[in-house]
Amino acid sequence: MSKGEILAGYLAPHPPHLVYGENPPQNEPRSEGGWEQLRWAYERARKTLDDLKPDVLLVHSPHWITQVGHHFLGVPQLSGKSVDPIFPNLFRYSFELDVDVELAEACCAEASKEGLVAKMMRNPKFRVDYGTITTLHMMRPQWDIPVVGISANNSPYYLQMEEGLEEMDRLGKATRRAIERTGRRAVLLASNTLCHYHFSAEPKIPEDMSREHPQNYEGYKWDMRIIEMLRRGETDEVFRVLPRFIEESFAEIKSGAFTWMFAAMGYPRIPGELHGYGTVIGTGNAVMEWNLANHPVQLEVRDRPTAA
Amino acid sequence: MPIVSAFLVPGSPLPMLKPDNPPWRELVAAYGEAGELLAASEPDVIAIYSTQWMAVLDELWQTRPHLVGEHVDENWHEYGVMPFDMHIDTELTAACIERTNEFGIRSKGVDYDQFPVDSGTITASHFLNPQGRLPLVIAANNLYHDGAVTERLAATVRQQADALDRRVALVGVGGLSGTIFRDDIDPGDDHLASPADDEENRRMLELMTAADAAALRAALPAYAQAAKADMGFKHMSWLLGGLGDGYESARVLGYGPTWGAGSAVVAFTP
Repeated sequence: MSKGEILAGYLAPHPPHLVYGENPPQNEPRSEGGWEQLRWAYERARKTLDDLKPDVLLVHSPHWITQVGHHFLGVPQLSGKSVDPIFPNLFRYSFELDVDVELAEACCAEASKEGLVAKMMRNPKFRVDYGTITTLHMMRPQWDIPVVGISANNSPYYLQMEEGLEEMDRLGKATRRAIERTGRRAVLLASNTLCHYHFSAEPKIPEDMSREHPQNYEGYKWDMRIIEMLRRGETDEVFRVLPRFIEESFAEIKSGAFTWMFAAMGYPRIPGELHGYGTVIGTGNAVMEWNLANHPVQLEVRDRPTAA
Repeated sequence: MPIVSAFLVPGSPLPMLKPDNPPWRELVAAYGEAGELLAASEPDVIAIYSTQWMAVLDELWQTRPHLVGEHVDENWHEYGVMPFDMHIDTELTAACIERTNEFGIRSKGVDYDQFPVDSGTITASHFLNPQGRLPLVIAANNLYHDGAVTERLAATVRQQADALDRRVALVGVGGLSGTIFRDDIDPGDDHLASPADDEENRRMLELMTAADAAALRAALPAYAQAAKADMGFKHMSWLLGGLGDGYESARVLGYGPTWGAGSAVVAFTP
């Protein structure tokens, strides 16, 4: 078996509004559209993902919250209807997905070796969270690539910020080793919004885009600053300012997926491809790609740059 | 007075999923006793507020007439499924939804097949309302509401129940101190995460039993901060808001750990 590799990582946020706006057959509610810039961004990401032809998609979602440990989906097939508890009017999605259990078990074992509490989720009646499903649908609506779903232990919320991010760094490194060991050609999906300040009420017509704009100007400016740095490949600088960005813009990346993905990729100093940016109920969302296959020279594995 | 009984109960699903585990038996027995007291108070409806049903936009209220299914907790999936069968008092719920607008809180009903009912609501319903005999009002915990708003929501339930001539058992579902063990432990060795948490919890339980609602209300913010109480202890605000000016007495039916966090079953006599 040849050594596995990470082909690419995507920042792939999960507002259910994007699925609602697209009107796929799996989702019950119907819309008149909306959030087109972000949906077109995902169209671009879908094309590049298709070109990569990965064996597996790994997704870390902040909406599968586990208090004790980092959990991995561990049932070969999961299906059901996922209803978003926050936006049930927009997202009632019938899903069927295949899990790469062998890789999930390898990730779990490697995470344990890193000293993290890690568990397999073996209950066949488990309902997959809407964050995982939205990100996977927006990236690959065909559902023809097996997945590894990873929970958010929410350690950055429970621990001091630095301790929590350090845990996610270890989870990322463990994920990389598991991918290499199992010979998979893998794509990572960090299911995170940037600035997470949002409106407290929904318009009567949720897809009325005349009502959609950044909720918070300072948060918007932070998003633009971070995206600019990521587009220039200034990974070290991004991670140096990350704690401030999280605090000042209430960024959802605090939940860990972004750090997990970059740790697994070895914190590459390569330009990220911005497929698009847009707001959803005022939150900032960027669809971005780091294609490692196009930058083989710069792929040494590096440690996490920190503010210190 | 439409509130005929009130209970503070744990939202952790562990007592439901593993009732025989020795450290959780006291809570299971207490939950059982609370169920008996609730039935004896002869309510027409149970009004539940669970910290684990989280809302972000608006205040959400369950309006699906019949909720039935099996739930798997997102963290405790290894311990099995949680069956549920609940009926909703849609008339009282609709009245509550309509009235919250008057104090600037927009409410919405939730009536969707397979809506994910939270573990706390299912656990409370399992112990307090076996076989789903009594209809429920279920209100969400909007993360941006503070204790004062939460009190007003419960007061709305009381006022609307009065108008509709309903007898209500009020239930606040959530934990005490919020620090859990982040590691795997032997469940048989479960205990409070720290002596300091234990002390804070016991002091809070004593305050409840002193039946001085004003003093209890005043102590909530400091307790919530010191004990990292579950969701700012807003489930206690729900009870105080529903009980109105005060209550006659309170009795701690059980207290114990749920993976290091503090949990208690407390019965309040209006």
